[in-house]
Amino acid sequence: MTRRVAPLSYPAVRRRRPVVPCPAETVNFARGEASVRMEADDLALVARAKSGDGEAFRALVVRYQRKVYAVALGIVKDADTAWDVAQEAFVRVHEHLGAFKGESAFSTWVFRITTHLGIDAVRRERVSLKDDVDEVREADLGDAAEGILGTALGSDPQATALRRELLGKIQAALETLPEKHRTILVLREIEGLSYEELAERLGIHKGTVMSRLFHARKKMQAALRDYAEIVQEDGGGGGGDDAE
Amino acid sequence: MTDCVRYAPMIGAREGELKSEERTGLAEHLDGCAACRARAAAQRATAGLVSEALLAQANRRDFGPFVDGVMARIERRRSPRGILARLRAAVVHHPRITFGAALAPVVAALAILVYVRTAHDEVARVLELNSEGVDMVVQTSDGPLVLIDDEPEGT
Repeated sequence: MTRRVAPLSYPAVRRRRPVVPCPAETVNFARGEASVRMEADDLALVARAKSGDGEAFRALVVRYQRKVYAVALGIVKDADTAWDVAQEAFVRVHEHLGAFKGESAFSTWVFRITTHLGIDAVRRERVSLKDDVDEVREADLGDAAEGILGTALGSDPQATALRRELLGKIQAALETLPEKHRTILVLREIEGLSYEELAERLGIHKGTVMSRLFHARKKMQAALRDYAEIVQEDGGGGGGDDAE
Repeated sequence: MTDCVRYAPMIGAREGELKSEERTGLAEHLDGCAACRARAAAQRATAGLVSEALLAQANRRDFGPFVDGVMARIERRRSPRGILARLRAAVVHHPRITFGAALAPVVAALAILVYVRTAHDEVARVLELNSEGVDMVVQTSDGPLVLIDDEPEGT
């Protein structure tokens, strides 16, 4: 059963995102002490940009352009469309800068706009797969290469010699996901949103967040299955042997 | 297996995202379920890779012209052509809202036209004079109305 996502209004933001310590095993750029300092710095640049300082606005764009592009790319898949979405996101930021009150982090606001634009872009192209159920059923617990991935990639993926190829496989696997699963996985992984924040951003229940993430990860893992089997055969897996 | 349906989606939750009873239940379930332990291991093995893959792809792209492109878009938006382009985009992307917004003044104009015509007909009926001698009988929507001349005859 699909659920229609209620559009969220922006740039109004209801509450401040709490700063959560970054888990060691998660590559996550949105949390931690450094992010607190960056948020304060962002607010200073926003204040200057509001008063007409063009260089301050440009500094904000340069600071977040890659991450915004990465979020857009994860949602829309196409590089050129992601470029357009990312640029349009900053144009919208510029248009509504006066309304930004600082109740949330500037980065949260930018990513929220990017998410909306990315989802709109995907729906305009009407590229959606039918396999986008939200609940988890018995049949969904089938083999998705969990056992292989855990050993082939090891507990420290950074030790894998074929890392670049792996990242390419990840990108290709991401493109096979339905839009709903792709979006939630990108927001969880890049922006580091919690279950509650994802529920608020996407207008869904927390249980649906967990189910969608489950499905998204399962499909990603299944897509990486062949690669993991190759790695295991080559003996390139196992955690810790090549660790720094 | 029914417990797996309940607990598998909880694998990958961060600190504070599960209620205490959910956390306890998940821990107990993982102790007894090899399949879910494998799921947890796969989750740990792939954690962060999506972010890394997308950011790696972003880093391969030349962002030199990006901010200039943003500023150029902002300038185009401010121009009259930019405003027209946005209106055109609004029509294309939100046809129902645009149709409704265009229909509203048409409906209002029709309503005003009907009202004015109805009022005019009433006035026309009032102006139908039926003069018989000095007294006049005026036909109104509420029935005939006799207008009596105050001046006596012969003056």
